[in-house]
Amino acid sequence: MPGPRTPERPRAARTRGTVELRDRALSLGGRSVPLLSGAVHYWRLERSAWRPALEELLRMGFPIVETYAPWGVHETSPGEFDFGKKDARKDLGAFLDLAHEIGLVAFVRPGPHINAELTYFGLPERIVYDSACQARSPKGNPVLLFFPPVMFPVPSYASARFHQELGAWYDAVGEVVGPRLWPAGPVALLQVDNEASYYFRDGAYCQDYHPDAIVEWHSFLAQRYTTVDALNAAHRAQHATFEDCAAPVRFDAKDADGLAVHLDWAAFHERLIVGALHKMRTRLERAGMDGVPMVHNMPLGDGGLPLSLPALEQVADLVGFDYYHGRREHRTIRRRTLYLAGTTRFPYAPELGVGAPPWFTPLAHEDSLYCALVALAYGLRGFNLYMAVDRDRWYGAPIDASGNPRVESAAWKLLLGKLKEIGFHRLERRAEVALVVPREYQRLSRATHLLGPIASSAVEAIGGTPVDACRDDDLGFAGPIQTLWFRMLARFADAFTDAGIPYVYVDGDADAARLAGYRVLVTPSYEFASVGRWQRVCHVAQEGGTLVYGPTMPGLDEHLRRQPFEVPRRGRRVLIDTPEDAARVVAELADALDLARPFRATPDVIETSVHEDARGPRVLFVINPEKRARDAEVVLPAPMAFVDALTGERLEGDRVLTLRVPAQTARMLLIDGATVEPAKAQRAARPRARRVSSGGKGGAS
Amino acid sequence: MISPHLRFEGFDARSWTNLLSLFAPGLRDRMNEEPAGTDVPETDVGEVKAEPTVGTLVILRADDGRVLKAFHTTRGRVRDLQYDGPQDLERVALAYHSRRAFELREGVLDELAEELAVRLERTDDYATQWLVVARIIRELTAAGKIHSWPRPVSDVPVPTAGMVRRAVDIILPDEHALVVVLWEHGSPWTAFALRRRDGVIDLAAGPDLLLRWTGPLGGDWRRDHRIIASAVTRAVAPVHVGLFAEASTVRELLRTPDPGAWIRAVAVRDIIIHPTPPYVAVALGADATRAVARTTARWLGGFDALKPLSPIGTYLRGRVSEVASVTALLGFDPLRALAHSLAQRPVREGDEPK
Repeated sequence: MPGPRTPERPRAARTRGTVELRDRALSLGGRSVPLLSGAVHYWRLERSAWRPALEELLRMGFPIVETYAPWGVHETSPGEFDFGKKDARKDLGAFLDLAHEIGLVAFVRPGPHINAELTYFGLPERIVYDSACQARSPKGNPVLLFFPPVMFPVPSYASARFHQELGAWYDAVGEVVGPRLWPAGPVALLQVDNEASYYFRDGAYCQDYHPDAIVEWHSFLAQRYTTVDALNAAHRAQHATFEDCAAPVRFDAKDADGLAVHLDWAAFHERLIVGALHKMRTRLERAGMDGVPMVHNMPLGDGGLPLSLPALEQVADLVGFDYYHGRREHRTIRRRTLYLAGTTRFPYAPELGVGAPPWFTPLAHEDSLYCALVALAYGLRGFNLYMAVDRDRWYGAPIDASGNPRVESAAWKLLLGKLKEIGFHRLERRAEVALVVPREYQRLSRATHLLGPIASSAVEAIGGTPVDACRDDDLGFAGPIQTLWFRMLARFADAFTDAGIPYVYVDGDADAARLAGYRVLVTPSYEFASVGRWQRVCHVAQEGGTLVYGPTMPGLDEHLRRQPFEVPRRGRRVLIDTPEDAARVVAELADALDLARPFRATPDVIETSVHEDARGPRVLFVINPEKRARDAEVVLPAPMAFVDALTGERLEGDRVLTLRVPAQTARMLLIDGATVEPAKAQRAARPRARRVSSGGKGGAS
Repeated sequence: MISPHLRFEGFDARSWTNLLSLFAPGLRDRMNEEPAGTDVPETDVGEVKAEPTVGTLVILRADDGRVLKAFHTTRGRVRDLQYDGPQDLERVALAYHSRRAFELREGVLDELAEELAVRLERTDDYATQWLVVARIIRELTAAGKIHSWPRPVSDVPVPTAGMVRRAVDIILPDEHALVVVLWEHGSPWTAFALRRRDGVIDLAAGPDLLLRWTGPLGGDWRRDHRIIASAVTRAVAPVHVGLFAEASTVRELLRTPDPGAWIRAVAVRDIIIHPTPPYVAVALGADATRAVARTTARWLGGFDALKPLSPIGTYLRGRVSEVASVTALLGFDPLRALAHSLAQRPVREGDEPK
């Protein structure tokens, strides 16, 4: 048995001027504001609807209003901007002042990428048709985005011209937003760009072959390899300079010898975005938008995106996922949230969809509410309800475009009230197990994806997996690593879920501190692996943790160069042969390590998730993803009483709680504080587990 | 035909889903379906024998004919596919209980994207852009780089933007509106109004907006339809065609193979079409004519069946050219194509108005 785990580190305390992210809330001069916001698009509403809409937002329970500020809407001609002089609906300053007067905090997202179902995604038409700003395909053509209401060429994240033009927009919007930063005004959160993933054209060989991007590619190689000889050794090439190394335009590797350039290209995609966001953030700050935490959001399909969340957290203080899921996507909601819970310093949804654009897969009110509850159950601690107030090219918001509440708003009001009442953002969900996601294999999956412009992220976003359309060649290895890694992690996820053992996902790029405190790490390993990831997981084993890896001991690094890989000498090691072993391995570990299975439920289809504070368990979620109602039994650690947060039903149990869980429903049960002491005592007797989503890392960037 | 500045507003989740469900049978069932049983969806032919026919089978092949990957859009990766080339597509689609199947040559979608980037004009609207996509797909299919099963409109040429525009001119002329309101239990179940301005559809308004324009309605849709048409005329544009009915009536009619069903529904005011432009009258007339032909054949004499329809028949004789023109312009009759498509997909319980 491993010894007690290392004590927790302090929660994130991030200071930007006078606004801090503290204890997973905004700290405004001593006032703690949970990150619960609702989206309102001022320029799309009649001016007369602003006040009723904002007042209704406040009545629903939102302390924060979120809005984009779209460049293409405000720019009337190059360098000329209208902030209300010509069109009263564009008066961003007045909107923010009204929010301040009403008592709302504001979260402003000035782009440049907006989406928001705007034509050209909120960019000025002149920008998207400026060839110097456009991303380039392998043949040098513009790269088109297929979304309605019109296809358009997307900008290049590398284009110097684009960044130059962007500066003028930031200066203009900064003149409106800057003076309204908290405490002078309501603005306490800002976002840099939006869903920065190459405008959904993120296939490995879709872009970006813009001349400025190619310059950055060569600079990336120089930084990565230092010498041309090292580059040549990895790429099995004879380049005279870094500039001789052409960007690959299609996947053409037959075996390991040809892989490094493709893995580098995939890694470069991630680096290019981080670099661009860093430039944008710096420019925002120069334009006077500084001193408040900065947010960034990742779109759907994160398993296939060229984005590294740990790297993005070097640029933004808060990085989260956007959620637009139906009930049938239960597993996706769970997986994405567990990834956020294990990887980020604050599991947050910058967009939690309520309703959808008309060209998305339709979502009902029940879908949005279920998605929110399941995400909260697995560790989400804050969200921006998108959209809270209805608008053009959207349906299903809980408040209509005149500011009147729709019938669906009642459920949200109830939920928000309870979240604030119990201080949900401060609770913890404990997990002793982490599945470590190998980013180097994820990059290989992107490179071997066969559907080109229908990228692996898109396949995942429409209900598949990021490896569904990867080629099945083994590339000279024992098997197709590009699909096997995903299957192995998925098998273990299934096995831990079935066993009722809480777990999270941790990104393989995350630093060692993210892995500290877990008792079991599971990470796939094949013939090649990231040296950094391997060292980090081995460190946990050295500290007494259990490492499950395999089926192969790596011998090549991520540049496909031969490297000695250490075999962890301490701790428990489990080298698995096939993913099919997952259920057996999990059963053995559960017994050998006495892994916690809190509030285990039957039948097996019922999932539970418990959240606690220093006093013990506070909230229990009981989830039935099936289409028929179930009578569930939940094993209690002690006699307990519960109140259903949404229905008000009172429940209690001695050692077992019996309850009805309607079809495709997540029940949020608040635990009566007077009954929890025995549970706390029992928990105290157990080895410590990692409190995930604790915001354990201090600031970044 | 579609404005880049299209406004779409006034729907809530229910009214929008209701509208979509008219044209997408089984939509609600799909929205409510259970999550996959595992995070690692995979399938082989032995596992799908008892499953319903759903989704698409996608096969990706290298230039040398090797299968690089096969997957099913709802069941995940396909293991150990036995496939002998395009002539085998129907067999494997049926074996995997797939509604359709595609074989794609490696890189063909990149080729499509590159070609599209070259051909699109800045002034093209969204419909025109998709016509270009359709034309490129045809070319790639002709080149043997894309194979599909079934091939629903393989013999129909892709219409040009001009052809489609002229067809739309007949259905919804410029500076006019089209309104559809469907009721259930006395209140609007779904509704929309479209406006065409400067040659393009620039507004799609949902029930919230329509009700804002009309104010409170009386609850009897056979009377309320006039109030709605007037309100849309005042707020948007003169109504060129309005269709008002119970939702269940329209759902049945959209799928019925029975000639004459539409004209009968109009005759007994199960549907009110107001105003009735020539195009719709002709479409109804064509429906009536088909009904008469069938009835006449059945009853041999056919005289009684023709009599009540004779005024429409007279009207039609002067308008048949307009029906013919829409069909001729597009190369196919869009309403018949829709009915044919929907008839293949039976109504499910979840489709019924709720």
